[in-house]
Amino acid sequence: MFRRSGGTTAYFVEGKTPATDSPAFAAALTAQRFRSIESASSEETSIGWVSPGDPTGESFLVEDMALDDAVWLRVRVDRKKLPAVWVGIHRTEAERSRGRALSARERKELRVELEQRLLPRILPSVQLVDALWHPGRKLLLLFATSNALREEFQKLFVRSFGVQLVEAGPRELAEHSGIARDALLYLNEVAPVRWPRLGEDRGALAGSDGDGDADEAGDTVDELAEANG
Amino acid sequence: MSDATSFAFLGEEFLTWLWYRLETEGGDFDLGDGHVVGVALDDFLAFAPRDDDETEHTLRKGVPSRSSSARAALRAGRRLRRAKLVLAKGELQWSFVLDASCMGLRSIKLPDDDEEADGPAERSLDRAANFMLLHELVTRLYREFLRVRLRRDYLASDGERQAAWMASG
Repeated sequence: MFRRSGGTTAYFVEGKTPATDSPAFAAALTAQRFRSIESASSEETSIGWVSPGDPTGESFLVEDMALDDAVWLRVRVDRKKLPAVWVGIHRTEAERSRGRALSARERKELRVELEQRLLPRILPSVQLVDALWHPGRKLLLLFATSNALREEFQKLFVRSFGVQLVEAGPRELAEHSGIARDALLYLNEVAPVRWPRLGEDRGALAGSDGDGDADEAGDTVDELAEANG
Repeated sequence: MSDATSFAFLGEEFLTWLWYRLETEGGDFDLGDGHVVGVALDDFLAFAPRDDDETEHTLRKGVPSRSSSARAALRAGRRLRRAKLVLAKGELQWSFVLDASCMGLRSIKLPDDDEEADGPAERSLDRAANFMLLHELVTRLYREFLRVRLRRDYLASDGERQAAWMASG
């Protein structure tokens, strides 16, 4: 069942993508599907698509992903890493048996040996990240806010569909908000309003919108308005 | 500096304007196309530093928007960077934190599930629709702000009135 809470990062999807109920769409997901690293013997990360109904990434059924006009995407991120505590235990054991501290080269060799011996027996950590994509609005809500996950998701999306995701920040949201064309043009000129502190002359309300003459401290509101036409 | 970073101020001005609008005209908004919503500030506010040598100022619990600390931050000319908001449309009610510097929606809590929803599939549909609707409503609120802010006489009109509100109290 789809989640009831969480944080989202919104993106605008720029470019043409296959219909979400088409074979081409399923093929794009399949080409970048999640691949297991359960038996890997080196530290690594695997990221790829799975469907909400199948966490293995082996099937992408329309009925698992369709939510009316939107589609429910899911990314699986597995990470396999040698636990630092195990490295520490084996290093201490080796140093005790040799009666001295290990050199840098010996520590490196020990780590390689532990990776080959222990990693195939260690299960990776698993993270499932959801996204809600409304192709009609060219809007995608990613249920992740960390920089690392967002970057990984964006790369995966580009690899899969060959189109860019543009984060819906204050400017991009303004451009997609349906405001009038002249307001949109003026967007390129706006600069922060510098609200006066207590005790400052109220006439110091300033922003450097317009021709750039209005950002000098001490400009009055009327002067600013005049400067802005 | 990326666009997202360089226009952070506009999101913060939006959130500060929203507070001003709530206090001076009330929390009801007609956003067009039948979208009439009520908005309220909840129990979390974070003010952006005004200068590099200032720190972010966070207020939690109770009704921080009525606290003397919040009024002092406004009088110091600080913009609101993040706030927990409650947004209602008919019987639907969302709570979320708006990170205005990037317009991100955090800690979203959706309206209660429709009791008449028949099974997980239907509840998933409702929830997905409510996430999308929240995003649309916030965008429409932002558009209301932009209609005011992107007028060339803004500083001499609404900006001046908001400055007076910030200096008062």
